[in-house]
Order: sequence, then C-alpha cells, then structure tokens
Amino acid sequence: MTSAEVLTETGAVRPDWSWRRASVPLAVVGAVVGLAVVGWFTTPEFVTYRNMQSIVRSAALIGIIAVTMTGITIAGSFFSLSVSQTAAMAAIGFAAFMSWGWPVWAALLVTFAIAAASGAAQGGAVALGGNPIVVTLAVGAVLFGAGAWLTDNKTVRTGTDASDWIGASRPLGIPTQTWAFVAITVVAATILARTRFGRELTLVGANRLAAAASGLRPGKITVYVFTVSSLGAALAGVFTASQFGQGRLDQFDGADIDSIAAILVGGAAIQGGEGSASRTAVGAVFIAGLQNLMVLRGFSYGVRILLVGAAILVSVSAFTLLRARRRLT
Amino acid sequence: MRAIQRVEPTAWARLVLFVAVFVVFSWRDDRFFTTNNVFTIFEGFAFLGLAALAVGVTIIAGELDLSVGSAAAVAGIISVSLVDELGLVPTVIVAVLIGTAYGGVQGYLIYRLRIQSLVFTLGTLIGLRGLAFMISGENTVVMSDLSVAQSVRRQLWIFSPFSLVTVGCFVAVALLLVHTRFGREIYAVGGGRDEAAAAGVPLMRPLVLAFALSGAMAALTGALTSIKSGSAGPAAFETLLLPAATAALIGGVSLLGGRGSVFGIAIGALTLRFINSGLSLGGAPFYILTLATGVVLIVAVVIELLIGRPELRARWRRWRSEGGAGLRRRHQAAA
Repeated sequence: MTSAEVLTETGAVRPDWSWRRASVPLAVVGAVVGLAVVGWFTTPEFVTYRNMQSIVRSAALIGIIAVTMTGITIAGSFFSLSVSQTAAMAAIGFAAFMSWGWPVWAALLVTFAIAAASGAAQGGAVALGGNPIVVTLAVGAVLFGAGAWLTDNKTVRTGTDASDWIGASRPLGIPTQTWAFVAITVVAATILARTRFGRELTLVGANRLAAAASGLRPGKITVYVFTVSSLGAALAGVFTASQFGQGRLDQFDGADIDSIAAILVGGAAIQGGEGSASRTAVGAVFIAGLQNLMVLRGFSYGVRILLVGAAILVSVSAFTLLRARRRLT
Repeated sequence: MRAIQRVEPTAWARLVLFVAVFVVFSWRDDRFFTTNNVFTIFEGFAFLGLAALAVGVTIIAGELDLSVGSAAAVAGIISVSLVDELGLVPTVIVAVLIGTAYGGVQGYLIYRLRIQSLVFTLGTLIGLRGLAFMISGENTVVMSDLSVAQSVRRQLWIFSPFSLVTVGCFVAVALLLVHTRFGREIYAVGGGRDEAAAAGVPLMRPLVLAFALSGAMAALTGALTSIKSGSAGPAAFETLLLPAATAALIGGVSLLGGRGSVFGIAIGALTLRFINSGLSLGGAPFYILTLATGVVLIVAVVIELLIGRPELRARWRRWRSEGGAGLRRRHQAAA
C-alpha cells in the first residue's frame, strides 16, 4: 500500500477520482453526447463524416480564441470582451503588412508583437485593480475605432498569395486551423494541469490574497494570461486573413460571445480557480455542433441565438449548483 | 445625503471636466451653443442617460447588467408593434412593466442561484437578442401612424417629451436611492455584501430592485427611442453598453460598488453627449465616436485606479502636509 492510498483510506486526502469531483467534466461530455444523440435521431445528415469535419473546422477558430482565453477565466479575471476586435485588427494588420510586400515572417512577427503589447497593457490595467470587463470593453472600442479610422472602414487585401499556405492548406487532409486548435488545446491543457505555472495561475484565481501571501505575484500572472489571450485572438485573425486574402473590421463579430459561451459551457468556474483547456475545447465543439444542427434543422437566426443564450444560462446555473453541493459535502 | 458626500473628492474633477468639454466645444464651433444644438444634446442625453442609469444602478449594487442593449431592442420591437393599437402612453407603460418584470426575475435568479451577474446577464444578453430577432421576424418593424413619433420628439424649447420623461426618471431614481430604505440597501449590498448581510440587510430585496430598475430603464430607452424614430430593428442598441457604462463611470460610479450618485450619472451622460455632439458637428464618422468613447472610458478607469488605491492617496497626502522631509523622517522612524 502506497502512502497516497493510506491517506485516502484514512480520509486525509480526497481520492484522485470520485463521482463528485467528476461531476463537472461528466456534465460537459454528457452535453456533447446528448447533442450527438439528438442529432443522430432527428437529423441523419448531422452524423456524417463530412458534417463532423465541418463542425470541427468551424469550432477551430472559436476554439483557439476560447482556449487561449481560458487562462483569464481560471486566473479570476472573468473574460475579455476585446478578442473580436483584436482578431479583426490582427487580420487587418497582417493583410496590410503583406500588401506592403513584407516577407511573411516579418508580417507575422509584427502582428503578434502588437497583439502581445495590447494584451499586456490590458493585463497590466487589470493587475492594478481595473475591472477586466470594463478595461477590455474600452480597449475593444479603441481598437475598433482606431482600426476603422486607419482603414477608412474598408476591406484590406493582402494582394499576394505568399501567405495562403497559413490559412488554406490542409496537411494530411486536415485544415491548418484544426491542427492549430488541437495543438493549442494540448499545450494549454498540459501547462494548466501539469506545470508549476498552471498551478500558480489556478491558485491566483482561487484565492488572490492567499496566492500573494504565499509569495506568488498575481499581477504578473494576470499580465501573462491577457497576453496569451490576445495572441490567440491574433492567431485566429492571421488564419482568416491568409485564408481569404483580406482583413475586414466586422470579420469577427460575435466571436467574443461564442468563445465566452465555449468557456462557460466547458464548465470553467467564473469566479476563477477552476477550469480546463480541454473542457473549453469540448465546449467550443458543442457550440459549433449546436449551431450546425440548428442550421441543418432550418432554425431561424433568432431562434439560434436564443438557444445559444439558453445553453449558457442552463450550463452556468447547473455548474453553479453542482459546485455549491460539492462544497457543502 | 451621505451618498453625495461620499463621492465628494472626485466631484470637483468631474465638474471641471464637464465645464472644460463644454467650453472647448462651444468656443471651437459657434453652432454648439444654440437652442437647436442644446435640444439635440438633450435628446442624446435622454437616450444615453436612461441606459447609463440602468447600468449605473446595478454597478452601485455591486453587480453589472450587461443585457441592457438587448432588453432595449426587445422593448423597442414590442412598443412599435403595439403602439398603433394601444396608443402612446399605454404602450410605453406596458413596455416598462415588461422590462421591470424581466429585470426583477433576473435579479431574483441572480440572488437565488448565487451566480455572478456578469455571467447570468451575458446569457440574457444573447438570449434576448435572439428573442428580438424572433418576434420581429428578422425584419425592421415599422409603425403606420407617424404622428405618434412626432409627439415624442416635439421640441419644447430645449426639451422634448422624451427628455422630460428622462429628467423625471432621474429625479425619481435619485429620491428612491437617497431617501428610501430600499435605495440605501442597494448602496449597502454594493459597498460590502458580507458586512451588509451581517448587519441584517436582506440581500434579495436590493438585488431584485436594482435589476428591476435596470430592466425598466432599458425598456424605457428602447420604447421611446424606437417610437421616436418610427421603427425598431432586431439588431438595434447592440453597442449601447459601451457608452452607458462610460457615462456611469465618468459620472463617478465606482466599479467596486456602493459608490456613485444619480446626479453624477447625469453629469457623466451629459459630458459624453457633449463630446459626441462636438465631434459630430465637426463631421466625424461614427467610428471616431466609438474611439473617443473608448478613450474616455480608459481615462475614467485609470483615474479610478489612482483614486481607489489608498496607499497612493495616503502617500500623496503626506507629501502635501509634511513635504519630502516629513516622509523621510517617517520612514526612518519606522525603520
């Protein structure tokens, strides 16, 4: 008998697995399975290989934004309302740099450097005590206004096919966006669950004062998570700009809502301290699958939005109740 | 009156900002300070002020209602569809009652489920937008009798019935917040929820009241703005939250909750309207207004950060009273 087992037997620590601890992940997976079953019985074309591919593809961009934003939620800063604008600005900037004849690496470097700076600035403001929602709302407005001003509210074209491979190629028959989505999810999940930084981040979200008292620097971690989120949004922007050869300001309208929905359906605790990158990825697939199923069923735009809103309300209420019960026992 | 005294330190800064913006624009453009332009500013104030009041009350209660824009859109579509049959006043009353009921239920659920209002109202923000598309059939709804629209926007010197209703709402909410027990409870749960609960303040009543007020004001904005323009679109008011929150924050409402006054919100909404009106007269396109609003919001957040950090403020006060030498002495004594 190992020491861990002894401790478990004596009740000193909780076992690694129990129904109670597994309730949130099970609920997330259950939602996706439920959706697939409903789709299977009601809509034959939903479960075809082709349609599955299209769901994963549409989940990829939202998924990249959502998974990189999960750090913000776990670290206790809710979420960012500026990711749509960051992604759109990255798309516009990348398209503009390419149209000026820059090499691809330079265009990528400058685009990501600007995104990182904007993310770090937002993280800094939040670290100093700014409300994350209001800070990101304000920065989003500034990015949108500045973007419209610089581009005269017009579409910016790359004017070259040098960057097409980033967004339009399909290594092994799978789009680059999907590869990136899977890779980012794996890396983020590993960092969050298996590294010291991931555990520090979780502790900052669970109890900021305790984290500071035990020598961590919550401010620094806040700056990191906002920078990562900004970089993720910029990556989505670069993918879109290189796939369609253009950047437009309204290209990512609604991306912030969809990615927040993915995080919430994925069961991250909104007050921080709990959440997982892989569950957010599953949440993104769920939202994409739900949208896909509703389109196949011919639901109108209004009903589709209404149901996404309902999915958020139901999942958030359910997770809050699940957690409340778990804490009492 | 304690609420007003509590925001006193920043009130001067806001008043200076308000006057400065006003002076700059009326000096740069002679059209700025004319009866017609002041009327236009008040029309904009009516539209923005009610939304700022809606968001502001929930911030004072220590929460945040993100759903005001969607609620206004739904109320706008309902009012425009009803106004031909019911007439102006009953329609507006129905819209406000629906908004109040919606807000009250939202507040109750937030209390009951002990859920972050941020998340819950994000859900209703999306859900109500969907509802707006559904009940309008994804099209703009138009009223047939445009004389009703005329009666809302008729110019009475610098006011219109719309802006007069808004002023009335501001006075009513101010009296409610400052002079009634219910209003004081909103400040109490916003300033320190645990302390308020320990002191025996019921949590449910102020939360339900704050969100009901927010729903009512959002519905009133949506109803009157839509009737005024004679039509309501399902995608309307999508960007209402940004200027509303900005107006409330430059009006001195603290994001930490428990601080802020209705008078401050009015000043904030007017200041933002001055800026927008001045820029519009200069021919700026809509995205410059968004840019300006975003910059103003960032400045407001930064100022609040500086004011809200007691250690910075205390250091500043010591510098002023004792000078650099005093501070050094204090450090030596502490060492």
